[in-house]
Amino acid sequence: MNVLLTLSIAATLALFFGVLRLKNLATPVIVIGLLASLVFNAMEWNNTTSIFNDMMLYNNFTVAFASVGLFITLILVLFYSELSAKHEFHLPEILAIMLFGTVGGIVLLSFRNMVMLFLGIEILSLSYYVLAGIRKQNVYSNEASLKYFLMGAFSSGFLLMGIALIYGVTASLNLNEIAGYVNNAKGIVPPYFLVGVLLILSALLFKVAAAPFHFWTPDVYDGAPTLITALMSSVGKLYSFGAFVLLFNSCFIPLIADWEVILWIAALLSMSVGNITALYQKSVKRMLAYSSIAHAGYMLLALVGINNLTSGSVLFYALAYALASVVSFVVLYIVRDKKGSYDIASFNGLAQKNRMLAVVFTISMLSLTGIPLTAGFFGKFYIFNSALQSGYYWLTAFAVINSFIGAYYYLKPVVAMFASKSDEEITMPALSNSLLILLGILIILIGALPGFISGVI
Amino acid sequence: MFTQLVWLVPLFPLLGFVINALGFGKWSKTSASIIGIGSVLLSFVSVIFLFMEYSGSGQAQTIKLFDWIVAGDLRIGFSFLVDALTLNMLLIITGIGLLIHIYSSGYMHHDEGFGKFFAYLNLFMFSMLILVLGSNFVMMFIGWEGVGLCSYLLIGYWFKNREYTAAANKAFIMNRIGDLGFLLGIFLIYLHFGSVEYQDVFSSASFFSAGDAAIVAITLLLFVGAMGKSAQIPLYTWLPDAMAGPTPVSALIHAATMVTAGIYMIVRSNVLFSLAPVTLEIILIIGVATAMISAIIALTQNDIKKVLAYSTVSQLGYMFAALGVQAYSTAMFHVTTHAFFKALLFLGAGSVIHAMSGEQNMRFMGGLKKKLPLTYFTMLIGTLAITGFPLLSGFFSKDEILLSVMSHNRIMFILLVITSVLSATYMLRLLFMTFFGQFRGTHEQEHHLHESPPVMTYPLIILAFLSVTGGILGLPHITGVHHVLSDFLQPIFINNTRILPHTPELIAEVAVWILSIATLAVVGHFTYRAYALAETDKHPDISKKSVWYRLSYNKFYVDEIYEKGIVRPVLAISSVLHRWFDQFFIDGIVNGAGQVALLLASILRTVQTGNIGLYVIIMVAGIALTLFIVVFKFLSI
Repeated sequence: MNVLLTLSIAATLALFFGVLRLKNLATPVIVIGLLASLVFNAMEWNNTTSIFNDMMLYNNFTVAFASVGLFITLILVLFYSELSAKHEFHLPEILAIMLFGTVGGIVLLSFRNMVMLFLGIEILSLSYYVLAGIRKQNVYSNEASLKYFLMGAFSSGFLLMGIALIYGVTASLNLNEIAGYVNNAKGIVPPYFLVGVLLILSALLFKVAAAPFHFWTPDVYDGAPTLITALMSSVGKLYSFGAFVLLFNSCFIPLIADWEVILWIAALLSMSVGNITALYQKSVKRMLAYSSIAHAGYMLLALVGINNLTSGSVLFYALAYALASVVSFVVLYIVRDKKGSYDIASFNGLAQKNRMLAVVFTISMLSLTGIPLTAGFFGKFYIFNSALQSGYYWLTAFAVINSFIGAYYYLKPVVAMFASKSDEEITMPALSNSLLILLGILIILIGALPGFISGVI
Repeated sequence: MFTQLVWLVPLFPLLGFVINALGFGKWSKTSASIIGIGSVLLSFVSVIFLFMEYSGSGQAQTIKLFDWIVAGDLRIGFSFLVDALTLNMLLIITGIGLLIHIYSSGYMHHDEGFGKFFAYLNLFMFSMLILVLGSNFVMMFIGWEGVGLCSYLLIGYWFKNREYTAAANKAFIMNRIGDLGFLLGIFLIYLHFGSVEYQDVFSSASFFSAGDAAIVAITLLLFVGAMGKSAQIPLYTWLPDAMAGPTPVSALIHAATMVTAGIYMIVRSNVLFSLAPVTLEIILIIGVATAMISAIIALTQNDIKKVLAYSTVSQLGYMFAALGVQAYSTAMFHVTTHAFFKALLFLGAGSVIHAMSGEQNMRFMGGLKKKLPLTYFTMLIGTLAITGFPLLSGFFSKDEILLSVMSHNRIMFILLVITSVLSATYMLRLLFMTFFGQFRGTHEQEHHLHESPPVMTYPLIILAFLSVTGGILGLPHITGVHHVLSDFLQPIFINNTRILPHTPELIAEVAVWILSIATLAVVGHFTYRAYALAETDKHPDISKKSVWYRLSYNKFYVDEIYEKGIVRPVLAISSVLHRWFDQFFIDGIVNGAGQVALLLASILRTVQTGNIGLYVIIMVAGIALTLFIVVFKFLSI
């Protein structure tokens, strides 16, 4: 509760500073707000609290996922205010909206009531619709925002319809009561209920950008400002997957036979569509957008055979993916700022001109590929392990083949960086430079000492 | 209390490595050496605290920092074990490591990559400390691989020389063979014991009967690992080549610490080895054979470091012979004294090489006694210690090995006695050829001859002192004094019920003493006449020598046999596989898969038109399909 309050107050203050033309105060307020929420969040550890008469429940699961979400948001806020400040007239508002989105995300990690699920998704999505279109003068940014909004509106409709059907059957929106109903039903539920579950499932698949509900992703990720794409792909995915795990883990496990088939089809499609289409892309940004679909597919693998390993492996994967994705999008932003294009060719000769940037980018690409000694390797390892435990052998084999395909396109910009020559200097502001180094070290550290994270929940 | 902070011990060298690795090239040599030496000093001080606390309580402690790898039932903790054996190794590693770091700051002073050198040395210290501190086999393996890597980096330190890099590769590849054995051994341990923690494994080992096939397999595989790291037949040829590295490296890694890792590993797993009499017998035979063959080779080598290298291999053979007869604490005793005098000898040789402007061939030395008095004096002590001169450290530890082997197997005992005659011969030959007679080098070298600076001679003096007094750790039974080291190490054999305490007979003890003193006197007499008094031929014609001389000089042609019998066939097979299997078959599949994927990609991406109407239709179709699948399932039930 303290976390939500702190975030909202900090964001509101930042909005006021924006109006009062005290822009320089906005970033500190936001950063302090995020730091304070990280502390408040950590204080909730091992201290399960129910909020608003069981509307929400703040437990260790929430704390673990929220810590990652808050940390990544903090990093992105710092990047944004240092790198983008000169282009940005509305910096306080943008940062405030990022924080409002985080509020929605934390609701998604702690809801105990279908209403809160809906509210969380809407708060998160509305923030992202605005952020995607924040470049008012840019046609692509506008297009991204509009497309995202239209598609999102559809999926919200499905979500509401699903919730309504479930309410119709169980006469409750409370997760515990729904779970009680499902357990009593012993696997035999009316068709309406199943349809409701599937509609919610579809809406959540849309939110995590899984095929066949992924069509918005390449266009939106491509059109949105790069640092916003980093936000959507890293923490956006984390919150949605958190909600996914929370909902299905607490309510629908007894019905697993009815929905798992949909999930593994979605996982299969997401991995193949994401990876195979990414192969063809010339623009690194679009390539990363497609690859994010593939990563959603890998994470669905952990949900397919939902078991006690699922939340830990999803958290680990989301963290690993978020770190690597933030690094790659930030480096991409810097490169594009200098060279004016997202093409792989823009990366030519980067290793010569800025060794640190090249090394950190390489680490993030290796992590996305899943090479050992990076966080991404153990991310995949835990996910695959979780799927194997549930007996999905051939699906896991398929995922492994897919990660080989991934290696092909992730290494393309790396090869360009080291193989070609360039004569344009690339410099980095100091704070962003040290943040990138920090993230690179974190990726390696988590890859070397996975026990720190995986043992948490 | 202090034991809880045991992680500081490896942390200091790690920090030293990070700082020096990040800063090398930019900082002055002084600051690089201060960081390098300081980190080891701090680590040494921490070890002293650990030691004092342990001596107070006598309580072994496991300190778990965190779960390192968790996967299903497998839980591998990042945890440290502080017990007598660990402390024994820690004191050697950090103590001798510190002296060698100090010495290096003088020896490497003219080198360009000074900071890099200290960074590598610190990384080595870190890995070696992890190796002995870990509380499970996986931690040991990590350290094991780490020291292997550092050994590779430091052997090939002067990487512009192709021969040196070849030597580095050889060391690395040979060690990989051993590492594979070790790794398989760990897998088997996990399979049979369900854990890799020492505590779990050793306490449940009593459920196995002696000679159990699983235990024999495990111990044999572990021994293969030890063979590689501790340079035993057949995996010993890398160690003499490893002398390509700078001399302090040879002293630290290839004499005092890393090469004894194999012995540490076997002593650590003594419970398992005692349950496998077959393995013990094999260890004894290989140890004795290695000791003897390498001593024979050392007799005719001319490179001062090569002689010392073969001597190291031979002494390691002695230690394995002791392990083979379950004299575990005797082996550790020899590890300790050998660390003193072999580090001393290598550093002394380094001082000689330093004075001779890089010359390593003893045929071009001679008469250095007067020019390098301190080096001579300390080398003399080292030589006497290794040859078993009465009351010096080597005397006690070597005789203890001989005694243990004697009560077990007479033939092996006789072979070891012959070996000790050989060791006395090659060591005295080294001493006399280097320091006695006339100077045989060039005029320039003679002009340049000088005693080394104090940073190099002080470590020599300290090591000489230790080589003289090290025997106190294990005074023989006859003196009536307690065997300090053996008592200290007693707790690590707590789970081992199969070691029989044996007190050697008085008569045997005295006989071995007289035997070693007599051989030393005889050998001393003959070698003095042959190498100190007689003129040494600078360019001897090897082809005129006897068959035995040529066999020894050419190291029994083992390298050539490996080259023809193993390396060439493997290369030939791999080139055939490369051409037919890899390029044709595998590449065909891979490229084919790539083509198919690209084809699919070109089709798939046409769906992404940017037309939002189409997207919505596909989305709705997806949901319809979802519902259809489930409803279909529902109806069909």
